[in-house]
Amino acid sequence: MLSIRGLKKAYGKAQVLDGLDMDVEDGALYGFIGPNGAGKTTTIKIITGLLRADEGIVTLGDMDIGNGGVNWRKELGYVPDFFGVYDNLKVGEYMEFFAACYGIEGLTARKRCSILLDQVGLEDRRGAYVDSLSRGMKQRLCLARALIHDPSLLVLDEPTSGLDPRTRAEFKEILSELRDQGKTILISSHVLSELSEFCTDVGIIDRGRMVLSGNISQILSQVNISNPLIISLYGDQTEKAVAILKAHPYVKTITIRGADIAVRFSGDDEDQAILLQQLVDADVPVKSFSREKGSLESLFMEITDDSQERTVLKFETESNL
Amino acid sequence: MKRNPICKKEMRSAVRDVKIPVTITICSGILAAVALLSMYLNVAQVRVSAQIQYRSFLDLYVFVAVIGFLMLVFLMPALTAGSISGERERQTLDIMMTTMVSRWDIVSGKLLSSLAVMFLVIISMFPVLALAFVYGGISWLDVGILMICFFTSALLTGAIGIFCSALFKRSIISTVVAYSLTALVFIGTYGVNLLAESLSRMTNGGLAGMGAVSDAGSGAFLYLLLLNPSSTFMMILDGQMNPAAPRPDAWFGPHAVSLITENWALAGMAVQLAAAACLIWAAVKVMDIERLKRKHA
Repeated sequence: MLSIRGLKKAYGKAQVLDGLDMDVEDGALYGFIGPNGAGKTTTIKIITGLLRADEGIVTLGDMDIGNGGVNWRKELGYVPDFFGVYDNLKVGEYMEFFAACYGIEGLTARKRCSILLDQVGLEDRRGAYVDSLSRGMKQRLCLARALIHDPSLLVLDEPTSGLDPRTRAEFKEILSELRDQGKTILISSHVLSELSEFCTDVGIIDRGRMVLSGNISQILSQVNISNPLIISLYGDQTEKAVAILKAHPYVKTITIRGADIAVRFSGDDEDQAILLQQLVDADVPVKSFSREKGSLESLFMEITDDSQERTVLKFETESNL
Repeated sequence: MKRNPICKKEMRSAVRDVKIPVTITICSGILAAVALLSMYLNVAQVRVSAQIQYRSFLDLYVFVAVIGFLMLVFLMPALTAGSISGERERQTLDIMMTTMVSRWDIVSGKLLSSLAVMFLVIISMFPVLALAFVYGGISWLDVGILMICFFTSALLTGAIGIFCSALFKRSIISTVVAYSLTALVFIGTYGVNLLAESLSRMTNGGLAGMGAVSDAGSGAFLYLLLLNPSSTFMMILDGQMNPAAPRPDAWFGPHAVSLITENWALAGMAVQLAAAACLIWAAVKVMDIERLKRKHA
């Protein structure tokens, strides 16, 4: 659906994008994350045609976005991270205006507006002025507006920022429905826990380059493998446990975290079971024995942290990422 | 041909704003008061001297025309200078630029809606203007020519505003620059001619007594006034009211009679239309997407 190759963009001496590559498959809900200043908004502005790249190619389907044409705009809907308000326009008129901007007018426009307003839960506010809506309602209206021309790709830049948890949940539900309808969605957000819940793919950008991208389930399962084993013990048997662990060939590092022991273990599940058996046989009272679960936050922190560059390299080697 | 959605939206917003009806009410109110006062004075005059001053109705026509022209000059930059920069400030321009609407559609839509609002204000003065028809002296053709002059003046001043609005990110700056440019066109062109004529007089002052001073004129600077809508407006109004009024070749000193001075109003409107077209084209060009970029945070 969306393909980016070698994207570069500089503002003066600051190289914001430095050879970014990205692929968003049809029907994916792609989470686009990165620290502040990584180049997310610049990338989105280039995708939506609001900025021109210095180098690189962005293709939407088989259309090149940078070649100056406008036909690709029919396939793209954009929800920015802010909601600009038109004074003196009602909700229905706002929708019909943007429908007209895509050449949809008359009865077709009114029907489409009704369907979309109903989908986002604003049909009963059709006659209200836009500037009288709450922030959450405005964001939903913005989403409906972006869907007015039935685009194949929806690009959302921080759509849930500033929304309360309930509104955020409602918004997420709408996005999930859209995903189920087959829409391809590219969403940029800092709320990583939400992205990991409903995104199918993820791309992490840092300093203008994609550092990690792919199917989120596969990424998180590989992260899990490289996460440490957490062994919780009853009583004060830590020394005994550590002695056994030190002697084990698959144990790489041992970290004491209070009553728990975090172990970097390079063996497979069978080797884990054998290690657990060894501890039990040595009368070490094991309370729990499990892998620390990976999360998008931990992955994000690991990958985008400069001070732990060596850890990142080791991380990537261990997880084959 | 599909209607410009920007124009439709702008018109809808404009008619819901209280500013336009208030402006129309105030202007029409003033004109109506002046018309009533003029009628009252005429009636009083008739009672005293049994004479009807038909000229007063033509004076009323001139008064309404001048008020209309001044309103146009002051209102058009105000209507257009904040149109595109205002969209930028409200952060709605980005969204619009991602749709199928072109930059030309945006510029033309904003300008057309401002022209429509302006002419709503002008047409509201027609009832008072129509008083001049009661006793004759003015034809529909005269009014038609005046309207064409108003249109070209509105287009030029509107184009100045639109260009500034497209160029600058903030409405306050674009409004100030638009008014400054308008002042430059309306006052600056006269000023240049005055200065040129004065310099010419000073230069030729040493040849006093030899008839040289009477040849002192502003020279080619006269043609700068073609760009000035007020010169065209005055030419048209003078032509309607006083055919014996000085022609452009006699403005700011003597000038050679030419095809342009013979057809000053037509030439002036053509130059102003061309200037407006250039400014509109420039407005579309400066709305390049690179100008929408924000400084990297």
